[in-house]
Amino acid sequence: MSSQDNLTDDTTDFGFERVKTAEKAGRVREVFDSVAAQYDLMNDLMSGGLHRLWKRFTIELSAVRSGQTVLDIAGGTGDLAAKFSKLVGADGKVILADINAAMLSVGRDRLIDRGALSNIDVVQADAQFLPFDDNSIDCITIAFGLRNVTDKAKALRSMHRVLKPGGRVLVLEFSKPTSPLLSKVYDAYSFSALPAMGKLITDDADSYRYLAESIRKHPDQESLLEMVEDAGFVDCRYHNMTGGIVAVHRGIKG
Amino acid sequence: MDHDPAVIAGVSLAIEAVIAKALELSPGTQGRLKQLHPLDIELHCTQPSLRVFASIEEDGGVQISNYRETKATVSIEGTWRDFSRLASASDPAAALINGDIKISGDTAPLMQLQAILGELDIDWEAPIVDAIGPVLGHQLAEVIRAILSGSTTAHRRMKRQLSEFILEEGRLSPPKQELDSLFTAIDELVLRTDRIESRIKRIKKRASNLIGVVE
Repeated sequence: MSSQDNLTDDTTDFGFERVKTAEKAGRVREVFDSVAAQYDLMNDLMSGGLHRLWKRFTIELSAVRSGQTVLDIAGGTGDLAAKFSKLVGADGKVILADINAAMLSVGRDRLIDRGALSNIDVVQADAQFLPFDDNSIDCITIAFGLRNVTDKAKALRSMHRVLKPGGRVLVLEFSKPTSPLLSKVYDAYSFSALPAMGKLITDDADSYRYLAESIRKHPDQESLLEMVEDAGFVDCRYHNMTGGIVAVHRGIKG
Repeated sequence: MDHDPAVIAGVSLAIEAVIAKALELSPGTQGRLKQLHPLDIELHCTQPSLRVFASIEEDGGVQISNYRETKATVSIEGTWRDFSRLASASDPAAALINGDIKISGDTAPLMQLQAILGELDIDWEAPIVDAIGPVLGHQLAEVIRAILSGSTTAHRRMKRQLSEFILEEGRLSPPKQELDSLFTAIDELVLRTDRIESRIKRIKKRASNLIGVVE
């Protein structure tokens, strides 16, 4: 899926709906404003704790070392940023970026509670227009965030711009299950159990219905790989996890 | 990568948690492990194909991962069967040297690690005391200790009695001394046979020379 498919006639996907491109960011913000306070709890419930393992492998793939600068886009509640903070140490820096102020606020509070803010900068930023110098970041991660970005291709190009040559981008995102049977089970779970859980925990079934729909509209493994390559990254590859429910894509800036 | 990284990450997380708990109950060990930092051990299982890395952290903790781009300090390669044999061996060092496992890289820190782990002394009474209080906890620990000690003694006794039965009562196997004496006698016989053989060869050679002279 290219940027053009996503943005035909100045409209774009918002779950299964078509909305005006200019409206999508606002609609996504409403969703995350609603779920921010219970976001981590819901993630644990919805994935059965698996999101921690997916993120753990993403961190392993990052190969981040002491003294490096890491940008965690759509970092929300800061769980990846906290882990990177330990890896880069006092000489390095982690930038926790999210477009949503409510999510950032929750993330910042959590990081203060963990005492992990000494080498973390918190920045409200849109992934499509990253407010950082060219060639200034060693590693960029975006975990479960790219599908909510209005123009994914533009966001990937923006990431490519700010990365240092040799730096890497890691996109952790829901993807397409590799087994048809798993796909059916997963569909049933996403469209029935997920909104019901959302209703029970956050009293907001619609936001979780949007999450399920946005996952289905997100490019599959091969399409996203193509998008990462089109953005200028080289040595691109992906790793499926949990039968392809989630995939982590890696690209290097040449 | 053949295996689902999430599964490996889950197993790694569980192993890390067990190691962290063991180190917490044996603080001296963690202090000694600190001296081995930075040590990266690669365990490469060839059948089934799997790579796991264990790293000693700056604080003496152990991190398990299944992806690493830097070269490990020491790499241990073998099949799942080789690793199982190593894990169940009564003398892991001997099993490592005599088995089919291949080791490459700097093995000195690996030997140090083995020595540290050999002296691991886990204070397993502490979590019981924390959970149910010092009086009851200590009593329960004493009971567990007695059961463990009793079962170890019983196991040792059973092993000895079984050995005695095989040797003395059942006469299913000769005693070690008898075997040693037999093997020594066989060795001596082999030596004598070799000597006789070479003597026969010499005599034959001499005889053929004599026949040649007479003709």
